[in-house]
Amino acid sequence: MFEANPYNLGWAILQWVAALAVSGILALLVGFVISYLALGKKAPAAIKDTLKRGFDDLTKLSGRRIGALAYLALKESLARRALYVLGTFIVLFMAANLFLRTPEQDVPAKPYVSFVLTVVQWLLIPVALLLSCWGLPADIKDRSLHTVVTKPVRRSEIVIGRMLGYGLMTTMVLVVVALFGWVWIKRVVPARSQAQLISRVPVFSSADDVKDAFFFIDRAGNRQQFAVNVGDIWDHRSFIEGQTNSRAVWQFENLNPSRIGDDLRIEYRFEAFRSHKGNVDEGEGVRFRLFFVNEAKKLRVPFPQTGAGVEIREFTQETVRGATAGTEEEQAVLRIPRELRAEVAGDPSATGEKVDLFTDVMDNGKLQVEVVCLDAGQYVGAARTDLFIRLPDRPFAASYFKAMFGIWLMVLLVIMIGTTASTFLKGPVATLLTFGLVILGSPLRSYMEEQYTDRYQKGEVLGGGMLESAYRLVTQMNQQSPLPENFGTKTIQVLDEGVFSGLAIVRNVIPDFRHFNMTEYVANGFDVPFNDAGAAVLPSIMTVLGFFIPCVILGYFSLQLRELESK
Amino acid sequence: MQAETVIDVRNLSKVYRDFWGRKKVQALNALELNVRKGEVFGLLGPNGSGKTTTLKLLLGLLFPTEGEVTVLGKPAHDVTKNERIGYLPEESYLYRFLNADETLDFYGRLFDMPASVRKERRDELIKLVKIEGARRRPLKEYSKGMTRRIGLAQALINDPELVLLDEPTSGLDPLGTRDMKDLIIRLKEQGKTVVMCSHLLADVQDVCDRIAILYGGELKVMGGVKDLLESQDETQLLTSTLNDEAIKEVEAVLKKHGAQLKQVAHPTSTLEELFLRTVKESQERPGRRFSPGERPGQSDSRPAQAAVKS
Repeated sequence: MFEANPYNLGWAILQWVAALAVSGILALLVGFVISYLALGKKAPAAIKDTLKRGFDDLTKLSGRRIGALAYLALKESLARRALYVLGTFIVLFMAANLFLRTPEQDVPAKPYVSFVLTVVQWLLIPVALLLSCWGLPADIKDRSLHTVVTKPVRRSEIVIGRMLGYGLMTTMVLVVVALFGWVWIKRVVPARSQAQLISRVPVFSSADDVKDAFFFIDRAGNRQQFAVNVGDIWDHRSFIEGQTNSRAVWQFENLNPSRIGDDLRIEYRFEAFRSHKGNVDEGEGVRFRLFFVNEAKKLRVPFPQTGAGVEIREFTQETVRGATAGTEEEQAVLRIPRELRAEVAGDPSATGEKVDLFTDVMDNGKLQVEVVCLDAGQYVGAARTDLFIRLPDRPFAASYFKAMFGIWLMVLLVIMIGTTASTFLKGPVATLLTFGLVILGSPLRSYMEEQYTDRYQKGEVLGGGMLESAYRLVTQMNQQSPLPENFGTKTIQVLDEGVFSGLAIVRNVIPDFRHFNMTEYVANGFDVPFNDAGAAVLPSIMTVLGFFIPCVILGYFSLQLRELESK
Repeated sequence: MQAETVIDVRNLSKVYRDFWGRKKVQALNALELNVRKGEVFGLLGPNGSGKTTTLKLLLGLLFPTEGEVTVLGKPAHDVTKNERIGYLPEESYLYRFLNADETLDFYGRLFDMPASVRKERRDELIKLVKIEGARRRPLKEYSKGMTRRIGLAQALINDPELVLLDEPTSGLDPLGTRDMKDLIIRLKEQGKTVVMCSHLLADVQDVCDRIAILYGGELKVMGGVKDLLESQDETQLLTSTLNDEAIKEVEAVLKKHGAQLKQVAHPTSTLEELFLRTVKESQERPGRRFSPGERPGQSDSRPAQAAVKS
């Protein structure tokens, strides 16, 4: 998942504080009701005492005790043969060797990289689940924990120690498999595809308001969010018409010339739409030209400076899309020298003044890039992420190990949730709950987000909510038809609204596991971004930190408020 | 002067409930007891009388349904009190994948003890409970007796002021039982307070200063062992062996003083004493075997015992 927008850290923290406060108040209310039913008038004193003890137990922690409990969890994991996973990993890789390698040696690097990262991820999740969800319940069942709690051990230390121990165990496993995977990729990726093992560093257009980062100018010269729709169902791209005023505009911010290098490299992924096909044998090229624009100085600098423009060869480029083999032309990369000549207004063929792209056109790190289609009757399709500035490439290891770091954080989160669940549930149920959250937070998260966006931002969900959809299915009514006006319909809609409200709440509580999945970046030869609203390093770290505190609090109270010895 | 109270239990009740909150068992009912500093206190009672429940309430493993528990001046749920407590559970619930060294080191770390102190204490305790030869073997390979020994060692790792022992001699052979009882006496001599619960009455009688007998979760008897067991209306004399004539003369003297001779017998030793003597002799003379008619270790001149009712 890639958003091309920065992660809003301030908003995330605010949301975290709000979710924590609301959950705390709810827990306090439920606790008060239960205490009142059990203790009557003594309830307020009991709650006060519990909170005071809780504060002490959560703040007065001993590093030595936590270390001891972590060491115990580590030893326990070893005793439970957690390292067997390494054997499974090696066997899978040996099998993959047979299936991925072909006699032609012409396989791109992508499947190898995807395979390694996917296998590591899906091997470590079960290990993390089994360790974290079964450790404490087994300890309680064997009563080994009872001996521990007769020592001056705070229950919070037990929870943290367990998380730390399992975290250490999986870290050890991950380090081994990550290095093994690295060597394996380097050895088995065919020589021709080795060049694809790089980390491209893209800079996408950006602005305070994302609508300013990318927009269109229509043929009448008016600014628009969308251009021509050529009939694609997928409205990701809009099309600009050739030989008109239409253009697509990207605005870049915070560019640092020292990071860009000697030349400006721009990579693009445009789509051509042809209203006439030309010569069947030769094909009809659709060409575009770039303009670097400084409105204040009234500078427009074309690229290519002269000639017929750049031809979109989407089918050639399609074959290497996402990869980086071959020449820069094959990669759809334009290398633009710093020194160019500006366009002379009103005479496209004339050569204007000499300008420096970084000092004359770029303004305080801002750069405006426009694309126009050169062929009449043809169209160039573009979206915001179809054009980006490419900073100097980084080594493949940079993105590979960042992706492994993402997997590590994800496994830590699974361990934290699993350990917390195991403080109040038995092993199998805790495993189901944690795995359910992983599924909800990963593959189902996009569906949940779509429903939320449709309901609360667009105002309407096509086909309605859960009950309305069921009603339409049963009555074979299509999604657009209005429902009959009656009491049943109103009831369904009210109940569905309740479900949507519930969705809006749990959406803020269920972790977004999509932040951790950085496989696509690495497999497609991109560097893993540090700060992006999608999968990136910063949101991954913040998600883990954000769940650590509530998990420890919840785990502590569920261990503290239960009788470990109860019959 | 009255000794300091280490454990104070007031009106303590415990009801076990099922998932729906319905009463399942009344394990304790309005229990009142206190344990004084430096004494060995025995909790007696048949199975299900509430002994272990009482210990677990003292440790904060269970929550009281009613009443108050104070241990070392702190409420039972306060974990900081555990710094001064050692607990040996009925079964030694330890981590079977750790060896003895690791086990003691682990529990030592839970008391925040520095490494050098832990090592010193570990070596001392392993010697004390006599498992030097097995200190590097994982506990899963230990016999029940050895597990009890390492369990005891972990209970003493912090040199506790108060030691709670749940069935301390369970699973131990007579040698181990003797060692355990000697240890309890030694702990008392060091000024520590020991609370043990057991249904092996002989063990309790040997070491306890005071006892409480529970039945059905209620306190039935509490007091000093000597006070409770001494029979004030009988007198026991122990002499060297007497012949029949001497016995008749003694009887006559007793009659003259208004007492009645109830029983004349040779006192018997306990099976425990016989066993311990035999093992000791076997260790001193390894090649010696049993021969018919021999009474191993028995003294030739045993005293006669007479019970007199006045």
